[in-house]
Order: sequence, then structure tokens, then C-alpha cells
Amino acid sequence: MKAVKIGMPLLMIIIASVFLISSFAIPRANLGNPNGPLYFPIGLSIFMLVLSIIYLINELKTLHERNGKIQGLFEGRTLKLIAVTIALGVIYAFIFEPFGFLISTILFLGCLLFYVNGWKKWKANIIVTISFSFITWYGFSELLGVSLP
Amino acid sequence: MDAFLQGFQIVLQPMNIFWVVIGGFLGTIVGMLPGLGPATAVAVLIPITFGMDPTSAIILMAAIYYGAMYGGSRSSILLNTPGDGSAIAATFDGYPMAQKGQAGEAMAISAVASFIGGVLAVFGFIFLAKPLANFALKFGPSEYFLLMLLTLSAIVSLSIGKMVKGFIAMALGLLISTIGIDPQTGVHRFTMDIPHLSEGIEFLIVIIGVYAVGEVFYNFLTIDKVKKEKKKVGRIWFTKEQWKRSKWPILRSAPLGFIVGVLPGAGGSIASMMSYSSEKQLSKKPEEFGEGAVEGLAAPESSNNAASVGAMIPLLTMGIPGSGTTAVMLGALIMLGVRPGPLLFENDPGMVWALINSMFIGNIALVIINILLVGLLVKILDTPAKVLYPLIIMLAFIGTYTLSYSTVDYFLLLLFGVIGLFMKIMDFPIAPLVLAIIVGGDMEQNFRMALTSSNGSLSIFFSSGISITLIVLTVLSLFYPIVINRFKKRSRNGDKEAISA
Amino acid sequence: MKKIGILLLSVLLLAACSSGKASNSADYPSKNIEIVAPASPGGGWDLTARSVQKILKDNKLVKSNVNVINKPGGGGEVGWNYLHSKDSHNLAVNSSLLLTNNLLGQSKLTHKDFTPLATLATEWQAIAVSVDSPYKSINDLMEQIKKDPKSIKIGVGPGLGNDDHLAFVQVADMKGITPADLNFLVYDGGGGDVVTALMGNHVDVVTTSLSEVKDQHLAGKLRILTVSSDQTLEELEDVPTLQEEGIDMVFPHWRGIMGPPDMTEEEIKYWDEKLTEMVKTDEWKKLLENNDWDDFYQNSEETKAFFDEQEKLYKDLINDSGLVK
Repeated sequence: MKAVKIGMPLLMIIIASVFLISSFAIPRANLGNPNGPLYFPIGLSIFMLVLSIIYLINELKTLHERNGKIQGLFEGRTLKLIAVTIALGVIYAFIFEPFGFLISTILFLGCLLFYVNGWKKWKANIIVTISFSFITWYGFSELLGVSLP
Repeated sequence: MDAFLQGFQIVLQPMNIFWVVIGGFLGTIVGMLPGLGPATAVAVLIPITFGMDPTSAIILMAAIYYGAMYGGSRSSILLNTPGDGSAIAATFDGYPMAQKGQAGEAMAISAVASFIGGVLAVFGFIFLAKPLANFALKFGPSEYFLLMLLTLSAIVSLSIGKMVKGFIAMALGLLISTIGIDPQTGVHRFTMDIPHLSEGIEFLIVIIGVYAVGEVFYNFLTIDKVKKEKKKVGRIWFTKEQWKRSKWPILRSAPLGFIVGVLPGAGGSIASMMSYSSEKQLSKKPEEFGEGAVEGLAAPESSNNAASVGAMIPLLTMGIPGSGTTAVMLGALIMLGVRPGPLLFENDPGMVWALINSMFIGNIALVIINILLVGLLVKILDTPAKVLYPLIIMLAFIGTYTLSYSTVDYFLLLLFGVIGLFMKIMDFPIAPLVLAIIVGGDMEQNFRMALTSSNGSLSIFFSSGISITLIVLTVLSLFYPIVINRFKKRSRNGDKEAISA
Repeated sequence: MKKIGILLLSVLLLAACSSGKASNSADYPSKNIEIVAPASPGGGWDLTARSVQKILKDNKLVKSNVNVINKPGGGGEVGWNYLHSKDSHNLAVNSSLLLTNNLLGQSKLTHKDFTPLATLATEWQAIAVSVDSPYKSINDLMEQIKKDPKSIKIGVGPGLGNDDHLAFVQVADMKGITPADLNFLVYDGGGGDVVTALMGNHVDVVTTSLSEVKDQHLAGKLRILTVSSDQTLEELEDVPTLQEEGIDMVFPHWRGIMGPPDMTEEEIKYWDEKLTEMVKTDEWKKLLENNDWDDFYQNSEETKAFFDEQEKLYKDLINDSGLVK
């Protein structure tokens, strides 16, 4: 809980610092003002860094206040749901082109539905998976002419 | 006048009415789907238009364009996931309305607002096309920079009470927009030698990630909790009271959106944001904005549809595309042997007037289509959450694929989904992030071009009437809410004192 | 209707799969041809690919089906990388970016990593000023740049290192101006934005493809100083070519088509025949006319030599431009 509260501003500080440090690594331009490409990123990352530090201080002040949303994150299977969705998404990215649209989408949507909606409603899950995969495939690739693998 | 009537005759041919309706319907559908926007829809239709009469083709493509403006807000209202940049403003009050059980009213008013905005803009087109095209030419790099600055400051100023977070989100968005090859110098910035990143991060991926995927993740927090009592979506038409509140905002936003739409490169996202924030500042009840104020939905809807009509002006009068969609339309028209430009009005007035008149018919058709769809679309809310969310995730992935035809973007999509989740949990405003990514690249380039052309002198930003107006508006947009707040507090305190005395 | 469509499609797919196995050069093409457009739908490459597709199909020049697939990203890099790993039933459209990406250090691939099949068409470059500009000819303008390079703002888009930019660099080079001193304003929206900037007098001169400025010139909204073609163009008899202005260069902005590496002799010959036929069709001529393109057909052999020659030219131009050190 506290970790998230401090983690967010810390993350912002880290992002700003990474941008700031890599801004200096941008090669100098050979044309026009050699530092032209640098000003914006450097200015912005300093701006963001300062604000993130202010944000951190604000969070530290209110560290003990409860935040229902953060609690929600650690309750029940929320974290698991998010993690599984991301994992399935990554797998989807890898199988999308080799397996083709239909097979990979049926697998992806099917797994996700079974996990989120539960095994009990397996009939509905299967029907939804198959029908929606076909409808989107038909709609995108046939009606709209989008080239899908 | 002859040309005007001739144009009407062409539009009223059954075949052309058919194309208007088809285009509008298709536009509504693609507008609703995440990622698929009017630009993609027009592009994939190009092979079909090869065999068509050029007039029918341009009517069809235009109908898709403004049809998408109608459709874009549907998913903003129902699911808090805008279909593209112009529909972001519709999430601010549209989604809260839906949560209060007013999804039907919200969709109906937004359709009517779009209709009014569209029709007013067509009138604007008829009478003002040429002077406005010339006005748009006055916008140089410094004016564009200031226009974008105004948009950003207007959007950040909406996040009263969490300004620090608003500015952090904006800065992050602007930094993300610097990723890629710097156009002015050809230098690679933050690309880490990944060719995929050299053209920068597509803002639509960020929209889909932060809004659609982020929203689903966020809803996972409560998915297993006791079912929220089912909201009744009884009404599918708005009340008299709602209409009274929206009437003037709709009428005011139409010309604003229209003019912003005429400026090449500005487009619907900027138009809808500007009218949202100006309505909030004009409103007597600004505190209701963001909580489901009906005028907060109606104003940007009127504005973005008017902008889509305005964007046709530079295309038709000068052959210059003012937005991604009109750029694709230009390509398609050239293939058909029509070259929009200064000569089109003289060489082929019948076609131009047919297009303009088709926008009347198209908007009438669209308002009917969209109101008929309301009853159907509210059913989406009856879908069990556990089935709906996986489907949204799947649509988000496919929408992303159609943007770049590459699965590399899937990882970016998930990353932005997680970022969106934490922003929602930690109560960050999301619009500044997304808008900063949309305008950031152009903003920086225009700033530097302005300085290059003035040899480094900042005076260029004060050198024209337009610039000074924009600066004044920017300052007002940042400080007006603060001043008003102070003023209100003081007068409230004053009231208390008066009572106690 | 839908069911029949799906059924037909699966039959087709099955047919394609089974015949794919028996592939040998005698019955090339043995499956669907795929043309890669290394850009999003709607752009120049996409239009080229879709036109080729349509004309090949409509005239039944190729016996198998032809599809277009979009692979945008990295200025063509993503699409060409994709083609690199495919078999000879995949083709891709290209332009000078194929050469310049590598020279600018943005890509490891060069034209040598592919099989050039043809150069199809070219656009010409134009240099234009506003109607009230004091510069009446390209030589007037270049003299002013020579005197004070910073005084002339040159509009170009969407990025440095493209033909619009390099054509101007070559002109400057020929006039003895150091190209690195040129004062470019880069509009990343591309040609349209550049023309708007010129008409609003936000830049002094633009360098862009002819099609972007031709109509404006004819309508008297701006003035084309010169075109990069080898002879005076139809409708633009009042505009001198660079050569007529004493600047001895011709600058085509060409588009072509190529295949993956290691195509067999027969396959190359097949495409030489088909593409020669294609550019003779009326539809192709109509397309060229609509786009203000010129016929620039060269077969595989000629294209190969042309690429080598172009690569040398671009290498010099990029070095002179100051883009890379």
C-alpha cells in the first residue's frame, strides 16, 4: 500500500531521470543548431523531475491516509487477473503471425474468457470466443480489407 | 447558385444517397472501434473507389469521415474508451453520465449535438470557405506553437486540485512525443536503434492502451465484488432540462470547432478539447463538469463534427490536407483523376457542390442512424462485465494491429495499459498525457522552426495579432480557473460573514 | 452469402497450400503473389502497390491472385526487412529511400540485398516561390543564397535526406554553395504543409514534388522556378528545366518494384515480361497521367545498373548535405 504510494512518484522520478540522462547522449546535429534537438527533452525532463519530487513530498505527507483504490489492487485476484492478461497478451503477440489471426485469437480470447469468466460458464465462453473471433476476422479482413495474417 | 442546385441534383440521385448512408454507417462503426479511425477506413476503401464515379467516391469518403465523428463518442460514453483523439473529450462527462444510468440520454444528445455542429459547419463552408482558407494561411510556425500551447494549458487547467499530477502527465506525454527521428536535423532521439521506433510512438496506441486496456485493468479491481445493482437505462432520449443546458454550448462550439478544423494539422482533438474547456470556464456550474454535466458532452461533440467539415476547406480550396483522413482522401482522389486545389471550384463546381450538399443529407442520415443505434448500443451495458472485458481487450489488440501491421506494438499496448491503470489508481488526469503525445511533436517542431526563421529571437511569438490573442487566451485559461476559485471562496466567506453579522 | 464466401475462401486456401508444395520454377507463380507496401494505406507506396495489383489482376497478366500487404515503419525499413525473409512470391515497392536509408545509417539493407525487378515511374522535383517573390529564376535565388545563406528559408518535408531535400542540395552544390549552410525548415506533415507555408509567406522557397505545386502554379497562386525533368513538361511550357537554366542535372523521384534476394533467372524473366506488358496498358498510362508521373520503365537488368549509379550520386549528395559526418 505504502509501496504503491511512494512507488508512483519514484517511478516518475526514475522515468524523468532516464530521459534526462539519455537526452545528453543524443548525438549533436550536423545541420542547423547542433544542440537543437536537445533543448526540448532536457527542459521537459527537468520540469518533470522537479514536479515528481514535489509529488513525492506531497505523497509522503499523506502517507497514512487510506486509499481504497490501492487496496483494491491487492484484494482478491485482481493482481493475478492483470498478470494473466498481460502474460496472455505477450503470448498472443508471439503466436499472432505464425499461427494466423483466427487460431491465435480463438486461443487468446478463449483462455482469457475461461480465466476471467470461470469454467462453469464454459458453454457461453466457447460460443462467445468462436463467434466473436469469426465476426471480427470477417469484418476486418473481408469487409474492411485489412490484411490480417 | 446554378452550381448549388446542380450539386443538389447530383446528390439526390439514389446511388449517391445510397453511398452517403453507407459511408455514414461505416464511419459510425469504425469510429466506435478502438484504433480503426476514418483514415484507415478511407484507405482500405480506395481499391473499391477505383471503379466509382469520382463524385460518388468523394461523397462516400467524406461521409465516412464525419460518420466517424458520430461514432467515436459511442465507446467513450459507454466504456470510457475513446475511438480516437477527437472522442477523448467525450469521456469527461459522457462516461460519468453513463455511470449514472444516463447512457441513452448521453448518446442521444451527442448525436444531436454532432448533427447541429455538422450542419452549422456546412453553412460556414458555403459562405466562408475562401476567406477562411486565406485566414488559415496566416498561421505560421509561431502561431501553431501557441495554438498547441493553448490547447495543452487548457487541458491541464481542467485538472484543478491535482495540477502537479496534470503537469507531470503532460511532461511525460511531451517527452514520449520526442521519441523518433527529429525532423529538423535528422537526429535519432531515444530510439535505441529499434527501426520500429524511428517514426515515434503512434498516439493511437497510447489512447487504446491507456484508455481501453487501462480501463479493463482498472475494472478488474472490482470485477469479483458484489454485482453493482443494475443501472436502468430507461430513457433513450434527453430531457427538456438537458436540452436547455446544452443548447448554447452546442451553438457556441460549432463555429469554434469549424475554425480550428480549417487550420491544417489542428483537427478534431484540439477542437473538442478547446470547446470543452471554454464551456467549463463559461459555465455557472463548472464543478459539475467531469461529473456528468450534459453540456460538457454536447459541446465537444458539436465541435469535433464541425471540425471535420472545416478540414475539407483547405483540401478543396487549396489541395492541402488538413488532417490524416483528408490526406488519405487526397491520395484517393488523385488516383481517380480529380485534383483538389484552386482549380477545382472553377473546373468542376458541380462536384464540389455535390459534396457540400451531400454533407447535409449525410448529417441527417447520421443523426437518424445514431439515434436508432442508441437502443441497441445501451445493450452493451447489459453484457456481463466478465465477458465484456476480455472482448474489449481483444478489440484493443486488433485495433492496434491495424495501425502498423506489426505485433511489436502489442508490447507497447500492454505497457501503456499498465501505465493507464496506475494513473487511474493514483488519480492522475489522463487527458494531458494523451493530448501531449498528440500535439507534442508538432509543438516542438513549430517552436524550433519559428526560432530558426527569426534567427533565434523570441520576439516572433509576439509579432502578429493572432499570436498575441493566443497568448492572452493561454494566460487566461491557466489563471482564470484559479482566480474564479479564489473569488468564489472569498464571496462565499463574505456571505458567511454577512450572515454571522 | 457469407457462408459461401468463407467456403470459397477455405477451398482457395486449401488449393493454395497443396499447390505450394509442388513449387518449381516452371510453374511460377504457384501461389498468391503478395506486394508489400512498406507504408500505411493511402500513401504513395500504398497507391503504387495497389495500382500494380489492380492492373495485373484486371488484365489477367498474372494467373494467381495478387494481394497487397502493408508493413509501415522506419521509412520503408520494416517492410523491406519483411520482404528480405520471404520467398519469391513476395514483391515490394521501393524508391530512393532504399538507397538513402542505408547511406544515412538508418538501415543495414541496401539494394544489393534484393532482386531489383523494375523501375516503374518517376515524378519530377520542383522549386517554387510565391507570386510576389523578388526571385524570378533559380539563378536569381541561388545568387542571393550564395550572398547570405541564412536569408532564404527553404521549406521541405517530411524529413531530411529525402529526394525533395537532396534535389535542392544538388542544385546548391552545382552553384558552388556549401549545402550545409542552407537554412531548411522541415515540415514533418510533408508536401501539403510546405505549400501552405509558402502561400502564407512563412518560407521563401519550397522544394517538393511537382504534383504538390503544379495546380497552384497554373492558378497563379505561386510560381515554379524550375523543374528537374530532362525536357520541358506539358502544361508547364513557361517553366524552364534545370538544364535550360544552365544547371546540368536531371533529378528523377522514381518508384520501382523488387523481390527478395536469390530469385531465379526464370522468375526474374517472368516479371520482366509481365511488367513490360503492364506498363503498356492504358490503365497504367491513365494512372501516370492522374498522378503527374512520367513513364520511367526500366527492366531488371537496367534497374540494377541504375541503382548502382544512383547510389553513387546519393552518397555524394548526403555527404555534401552535412547530414552525416
